[in-house]
Amino acid sequence: MNGTLAVARYTLLELSRRRILLVFYVVGAVGIVLLGGFLKIANTLATRGPAQSVNGATQLDPAQVNRLLEAVFVSYLLGALGIFALLIAFAIGMTTIYHDLESGTAVSLFSKPISRLAYTIGKIFAAVVALVLVVGVLGIEARLAMLLFGGGLEGALTAEVLAVVANAVVVMLIVLALSTWVNNIIAAVVAFIYYNVVATLVVTIRNLIHQGVIDNTNLRAVFDVLYWVVPHQLTSSASGDIARTEIQVSGGGSTNSATLALIPPGSGAGDILWWAFVVVVFASLAYIAVRRKQV
Amino acid sequence: MAPVVSVEALRKRYRRRDPWAVDGVTFALEPGQAFGLLGPNGSGKTSVVKMIAGLLRPDGGEISLFGSKPGDPSARARLGFSPEDPDFPKFLRAREVLDYFASLLGLDEDDRKRRIPETLAFAGLDQERREVRQFSKGMKQRLGIAQAILGRPKLLILDEPTADLDPLGRRDVRALIESLKASGVAILLNSHLLSEVELVCDTVAILAKGHVLKEGTMAEVVPEGRTLEDVFVELVEASSPKRDQLPSFISEKEQQ
Repeated sequence: MNGTLAVARYTLLELSRRRILLVFYVVGAVGIVLLGGFLKIANTLATRGPAQSVNGATQLDPAQVNRLLEAVFVSYLLGALGIFALLIAFAIGMTTIYHDLESGTAVSLFSKPISRLAYTIGKIFAAVVALVLVVGVLGIEARLAMLLFGGGLEGALTAEVLAVVANAVVVMLIVLALSTWVNNIIAAVVAFIYYNVVATLVVTIRNLIHQGVIDNTNLRAVFDVLYWVVPHQLTSSASGDIARTEIQVSGGGSTNSATLALIPPGSGAGDILWWAFVVVVFASLAYIAVRRKQV
Repeated sequence: MAPVVSVEALRKRYRRRDPWAVDGVTFALEPGQAFGLLGPNGSGKTSVVKMIAGLLRPDGGEISLFGSKPGDPSARARLGFSPEDPDFPKFLRAREVLDYFASLLGLDEDDRKRRIPETLAFAGLDQERREVRQFSKGMKQRLGIAQAILGRPKLLILDEPTADLDPLGRRDVRALIESLKASGVAILLNSHLLSEVELVCDTVAILAKGHVLKEGTMAEVVPEGRTLEDVFVELVEASSPKRDQLPSFISEKEQQ
């Protein structure tokens, strides 16, 4: 236990000194402030003038403009948070164990009385804590920036931040596990293709099939199986909430209702259990590789 | 007296098609004994010590480290290992590296407060504030020796400990070995510096291509009137094809 905590503590200290994480964090933090500030200024300017319209059809009062801008802000924010979480996950996953194994560090460490299991747990724990901290702080900052608007999408942001963190943890563990077997750049590329291309494609096609956009029984069976083979991203109801807000503000009709029906619902209990299973699988793969590693 | 480490018929190869890197190495080391493992590059010295430290898995033979397998963390608690070309978490400072390793060794707060500054002072790193990534090879070597002695080991393995050290550092390492030997610590020393080995080791084994060519006390291995270097060169050359002394182009005169 002491060994695990020591590994975690000093791994966190190391991660806190890596400039790349600091750069991602600073860019993310400044981006959130700039985006929020810009939209707030736009809001102030817009509500000073005459009544607004959307698509030249609906007159908007200042409160509606405020809600619309908040929806736009949250929409951009969630996209940006997802990208930054992914970058941070790759940066942590590519270095946390790989650098120890590839330099002589592992030789010094593993000659000490620490089991490889304790080492791996300490490393993964530190990596997850670092990721949650950095993305969590960005999320808190985003939540504070939302005070500029105060329009009622706070719940959507919180749920999406949790989903983003959970997804980033999976990406990080895939990269971390792969980087114990192969070069860390190859690990990052393979993880990106596997998680962000193949898995996303499988999930998207399955959603389209379930929404009736693609009508093919055989494809449905294949993608229902594939869905539970690849790690799929957890989603919150944020996309639907934002779209609903935008439609409400603009006074949407039946076309918009049809659009809303195409937005996938938030992940259920089964998806969350699958996420936990994927986390355990990739953490175990990392341990097996560390245990087998001769340094 | 029970040996702190015993190695019997040890074998290792890195790939199935490769020749054996270590083939049938056997020796034992008792408390207070300094054992020199000598050999040319690629003779298997580092493989042997890494197997003892639990870093490599043997393909054959037995290793007993304090009566246990090297994979047993409790056995490694009494082992100090200074690797050849050591490295450490590069964003940590020397003091933090030692504190990290002290935690892994299970040292309590009092021991850490006393041992870490003293060990840093011995290694000449007590005033060093930079991160390890900015260290020279020699500084890393000093830190490697520092972390190896931090836990007051009963067996200290030094793999080329003086390769990157200046003459003062070498003198310090010699003094360290003498002092540890006197206090009953067993030393396993891998080194190319034969004059150094001759000074500090009681017994030696000369390896080539994974085999022990000769083993015994210093008096048994080095006859009267000869040096360890003479014996080493003679044995190693006899075990391998003679190499050309110099590339032919070196002695060619330049055309005007």
